Amino acid sequence: MSDLTWIVILIPAFPLLGFLLNTFLIRHERPAGLIASGAVVLSFITALISIYVLQTLPEGTERIDYVLWEWITIGTLRVPFGLLFDQLTAVMTLLVTGVGGLIHIYSIGYMHGDERPVRFFAYMNLFIAAMLFLVMGDNMLLLFLGWEGVGLCSFLLIGHYFDRRSVQPGIVPSDAAVKAFVANRVGDAGMLLAMMAIFSAFGTLAFYGQNNGITGYIERAEEVAFRTIVLGPFGGVQLITAITFLMLIGVTGKSAQVPLFVWLPDAMAGPTPVSALIHAATMVTSGVYLIVRNHTLFEASPATSGWAVAIGVLTALLAATASVTQWDVKRVLAYSTISQLGYMVAAVGMGGYVAGMFHLLTHGIFKALLFLGAGSIIHGTHDTQDMRKMGGLRSAMPTTWWTYMLGAGALAGIFPLAGFWSKDDIIAHAFDVQIPLVGILLIVASLITAFYMGRQVALIFWGKQRDNTYHAHESGSAMRLPLVILGVGTVLGGLINLPGLYWLSNFLTPVLHEEAAPYTIGKGILATVVTLLALGSMYIGWYLYAVTFQSRIKAGKDDPLLYYLGDIWRGAEIGWGFDWLYQRVVVRPYRQISAFLSNVFDQQGIDGILVDGLPRLFSRLSTTLRTGQSGYIRNYAWVFFLGVIVLVGYFAIR
Amino acid sequence: MVPTSYYVLLSAVLFSLGVIGVLTRRNALIVFMSVEMMLNSANLALVAFAQRWQSANGQILVFFVITVAAAEVAVGLALLVTIFYSKNTTDIDEINSLKG
Repeated sequence: MSDLTWIVILIPAFPLLGFLLNTFLIRHERPAGLIASGAVVLSFITALISIYVLQTLPEGTERIDYVLWEWITIGTLRVPFGLLFDQLTAVMTLLVTGVGGLIHIYSIGYMHGDERPVRFFAYMNLFIAAMLFLVMGDNMLLLFLGWEGVGLCSFLLIGHYFDRRSVQPGIVPSDAAVKAFVANRVGDAGMLLAMMAIFSAFGTLAFYGQNNGITGYIERAEEVAFRTIVLGPFGGVQLITAITFLMLIGVTGKSAQVPLFVWLPDAMAGPTPVSALIHAATMVTSGVYLIVRNHTLFEASPATSGWAVAIGVLTALLAATASVTQWDVKRVLAYSTISQLGYMVAAVGMGGYVAGMFHLLTHGIFKALLFLGAGSIIHGTHDTQDMRKMGGLRSAMPTTWWTYMLGAGALAGIFPLAGFWSKDDIIAHAFDVQIPLVGILLIVASLITAFYMGRQVALIFWGKQRDNTYHAHESGSAMRLPLVILGVGTVLGGLINLPGLYWLSNFLTPVLHEEAAPYTIGKGILATVVTLLALGSMYIGWYLYAVTFQSRIKAGKDDPLLYYLGDIWRGAEIGWGFDWLYQRVVVRPYRQISAFLSNVFDQQGIDGILVDGLPRLFSRLSTTLRTGQSGYIRNYAWVFFLGVIVLVGYFAIR
Repeated sequence: MVPTSYYVLLSAVLFSLGVIGVLTRRNALIVFMSVEMMLNSANLALVAFAQRWQSANGQILVFFVITVAAAEVAVGLALLVTIFYSKNTTDIDEINSLKG
């Protein structure tokens, strides 16, 4: 068989081409949507072929690393522009193009009648291309290119309605876009520093060694295990810890972890397919991918791994509680995404890379399903996002209803849906590595998750429609089809790493070298107990809001539970005050410094002294000096003679 | 023979008178005359020194000065006539259009 490895170029090339076409040639909604969707679907097919090529590589070649050209060569810094395609990339690529393709098709229906559909599809394609560069880059710099690219597309798409002053629930789209961008810059600073540290430690940025003499660093983590950086009076820190910790900062930004998660709830200002694609399924998981890709470094640094676990668990808990208190259908899902990302980060921090990747994949599927379902609900209720105005939509939109129920069940971790297997995998891993506290906290978070999903489906689909100003209807087929496909994926998603089969585990072994933990009776019991608890919790959530509080929920009124929980509820409602904190610690001082610089330093200092002051000085001087210009020749002659006398006197006396 | 210092003293007196004339008189013609007097006082000093050192250099320079003074008077008087045409006066205090 001829060498087909070049085919990996096509994976990012199709969406890039779609972006260029939609940017420069296409002017109408219909062709734009078709081209964008077609590009991603073609990319998906190419990815499938690439996996076949990868599996049939000759013995001794572990991965496809197709170097297009040498990108940057400065001294010892040699950065190839190469596309890496190994098993880890393969699963990420399938997720990005597969779920991405469905979301594109869905968007054709959802964005119908939008003011700027062509721009929307162009940016969506650009996002897919950037995301593919992120997962396919064979070095940190190319990964970073994609990392920034997805950040840019996230910014552009959150701000899709930049001309609207406010979208539900009271977010200014342009502000939300800027907020996401700025929060990500904080993380990106960590990424940049991590890259510099990697280069200074290993002398290369490439992940794996290549034929052209470029060395890789992934397999050489132990080389720097004992090197430390001296920080003057602060003591020293292990180099490997510094590198991984800086990466972890990047992860907290991109994957919306504590303390940088605040941008994600506001990112819901974008169109719903954007939320599904970028802020649930793909971009926000790139932090998890980063850790898995650099897993040898994290393995060599227990300190950072501990931090990752702590951050992940904290995020999972805080975001889950915040999710319970939201009224906006998309904000519930946003906080739930943050919470699930916390699971993944905690999993990879504990060394459960396969568990983390497993949850990443299943979450990508069922959270995309939930977001698309939410989009379908918003579409069908004529832009209603407040769950207090919904209710009883079960009969009006049956397809949305049952697919949403599948997604909700998967998120809650109900057997046998996808989320059950992956979430259980993470919890079991916590007990495997002897950190029962983490396991218990994650179980608590999963019970809260089940509760708020019960609450949400009860509010949306049960009871009577509480606001009769609109007529709810089911969405069109372009939107229903992706829902159904993702619904099937949600049911079958657990198969990819079913205990006993361990397909994903075995598939990823060449990259991660992680043995699948044997499935014990204890784990089976644990899983059964957790899923029963989750079912119970979901039922309680459903019962409270579908039956008990049924009559007490009205648009504009507080949640009945607020009466019992008081300030705890209020705290959760504002995302535990991180926004409030940043407002006071960062935004307000920044504004004050800016105000000082603009009003005092610039207007009085630069403008007053330099720009206006100097001319004023010369104007005064000239006013004084011009009085000497009398115009009388006699006066000039006087000066002339005095000068002569002075000169003569000087030479005479000297 | 008259000592050189007498000539030089006379020259200084003539020069001072010329200066006073230039600085105090308002009539442009008188100012001109004062300027001529200053030039000639310088000439007097030059020939005195030439006599003292028995050198022809000073005397030759005097001829130059006289020639240049003649040319200068021609130009100056032409200017004066033009000024008189336009301003109808030769009073230099009236001519102050360069006042700042």
